[in-house]
Amino acid sequence: MNRQRRPRPLRLPVLAATAALTVTAVAACGSAASSGSAAGQASSGPITIGMSLPMTGPVADVSKSGYQGYELWAAQVNADGGLLGRKVKLDMLDDGFDPNQTAADYTRLISQDHVNLLLGTFSSLLNAPASAIAARQGMLYVEPSGGAATLFTRGFSDLFFAQPGTTTSLPDQFVAWIASLPASQRPATAAYVTQDDPSASPAVAVFRTRLQALGVKTVYYQVYDPSTTNFDSIATAIAHDRPQMIIQGAVADDGAQFVRSLQKIDYNPQILFQTNAPTDEAYPSAIGGAASANGVFTAQSWSSTATYPGNQGFVQAYTKMFGAPPTEDAANSYTAGQVLQAAVKAVGSLDQRALANWLHNHTVSTIVGPLKWDKAGDPEGSLLLSQWQQGTLQIVAPASAATSKTILLTKPAWGNG
Amino acid sequence: MTELIQALIFGVLTGSVYALMATGLTLTFGVMKIVNLAQGAFLILAAYLCYTLWARLGIDPLLGSLIVTVPLGALGVLVYRLIIERVQRVDHGLTIVVTFAIALVAEAVIALVWGPDPVTATPAYFNRAFHLGSVSVPAAQLYACLLAVAITVLLQAGLRRTWLGHAITAAAENPDGARLVGVEPKKIGTWIFAIATATTAFGGAALSFLYQFTPDSQDIWIGLTLSVVIVGGLGSITGAFAAGVLLGLAESVTSTYVSVRWAAAVPTILILLVLLIRPQGLFTLAARQDAAA
Repeated sequence: MNRQRRPRPLRLPVLAATAALTVTAVAACGSAASSGSAAGQASSGPITIGMSLPMTGPVADVSKSGYQGYELWAAQVNADGGLLGRKVKLDMLDDGFDPNQTAADYTRLISQDHVNLLLGTFSSLLNAPASAIAARQGMLYVEPSGGAATLFTRGFSDLFFAQPGTTTSLPDQFVAWIASLPASQRPATAAYVTQDDPSASPAVAVFRTRLQALGVKTVYYQVYDPSTTNFDSIATAIAHDRPQMIIQGAVADDGAQFVRSLQKIDYNPQILFQTNAPTDEAYPSAIGGAASANGVFTAQSWSSTATYPGNQGFVQAYTKMFGAPPTEDAANSYTAGQVLQAAVKAVGSLDQRALANWLHNHTVSTIVGPLKWDKAGDPEGSLLLSQWQQGTLQIVAPASAATSKTILLTKPAWGNG
Repeated sequence: MTELIQALIFGVLTGSVYALMATGLTLTFGVMKIVNLAQGAFLILAAYLCYTLWARLGIDPLLGSLIVTVPLGALGVLVYRLIIERVQRVDHGLTIVVTFAIALVAEAVIALVWGPDPVTATPAYFNRAFHLGSVSVPAAQLYACLLAVAITVLLQAGLRRTWLGHAITAAAENPDGARLVGVEPKKIGTWIFAIATATTAFGGAALSFLYQFTPDSQDIWIGLTLSVVIVGGLGSITGAFAAGVLLGLAESVTSTYVSVRWAAAVPTILILLVLLIRPQGLFTLAARQDAAA
């Protein structure tokens, strides 16, 4: 998940959080020398795993399933006898989607709660400060979300992203598909529009560079503010240039709102790729039904239909436990748990440095496929290329994970899919 | 040239919808001097009701708005009689606080009933546009604009040609004088709140299919409608319409020729300019000092 919604005005809880951060940071300075080793010292009682999630605030509705992914993973680990023979206990704090509160929470988890291990939060916005706190304290940090390329250029060696690819590898499968098309079928022109977001805009920049290298001419490029709700002028400008292909760096609701602006002026691009937004189950209904979604491309880190080991078991167990099928966020947090579990089992201790070293040198089998990382914790794979087809988001590439052998080359007119 | 014409068309269409949404606020703010911060929540409530009528019964949002005026009007009466009128007797300034509280409660109730996910209606004409050469006129926005014009004309006619309209105008211009000729402030206040809240149904109907919305979308729309009222001038229905169109045009032209990112700042810039140059609003006569007494 790389969602980021409208910034909220500064409120009392934010001020309180800032004060709390200051206090806990001072406290952390006093105990920093002991906290890094404390994680590996306690050898009885449950293994406590700390995390701070945006359970309230603008992304609360989607964070709940992320936490449920962690809960399911912990329940399964405990049912199998725990980690290192000890039960696993989650210590979850709520950051309200506030980066300052996130930093305060992870400082508290390490310095006051003395958790044994950490797991990450959601969005690049929150994982950036959280991973910095973890790195400063010498703690391993496996994050389920936060794929902005900038997170992996800070020199941290304890950070691991539990998805197959980051923003820079997001275009891989789509660009490869375009490159595979005969010249007569390849789009000649493209428009690029993206939210000013650490995960979306770098991905669109990569799209543009690589598609231009394939000879696709850029006719429009626009970066918009996260608070933008009216896309009429952008859609009109794009329609004026009549690109065959549109690439949008969408984060959440902006994906559907942009499509609705295109629909209002009845402009149908031949190819439409959007990041994030089309993976939302509510996406088809938000743009007028499954017929309108037909042909839209997106990139996914996980699919419920993928055949990777353990994936179907995860889907069934999650559905049984929570009464609804898992979301991508739930799968990502479950994957982060799998990564942590693999390292602890292999190393046989909670030594944070040893765990990080093991992960740097091994491939971990997860429900999103085998994961392997470079020295910055950037995964060396790529995301799945998916396309809405007849009301179902089908994986169309890579071939090894594909659930549909057909790729719609031309998106049907809105509502006529 | 085509680009400019397209920008102007979009500006007028979008702006008229802004004006439609601000109509209720114009009445309460202009006539009763009450900044009804709950108006944004009422707008979202109306949008949800229109959306529900469309999703469950297939009733077009524009037609559904006629049905929605009834519960919204009743809500306006209840809010005024049970809360606003009582608070007003204690301290007029407290009304802004109490309407803010109503907005928060309304948002929570809407979230409980409809949930936090964004929704939107998609009537059959949504994906259609009229093409005049290379210029597009979206059918949905055109219909919303026509609705805005119709509501503005009806309200203006009602204010000028009915006894109630004269009473409202009198109460706005000289409350003491109006009381002397038998205009009962409590009764007029009830009518104004009923009309203001009921007309929100039309703005909500337009919102329900032109934009996605969530329970907390009121934050965006209350800011925008307040901008329309301040720029247009207090209590002026036609002034609010003109201000809405001006705002829409400014946004559209800014998006097209400057930057999409600057378009969001347009309402704030316009308010600052109007307050500096013509504090009473662009489309009203200079405020009478005795009117506030």
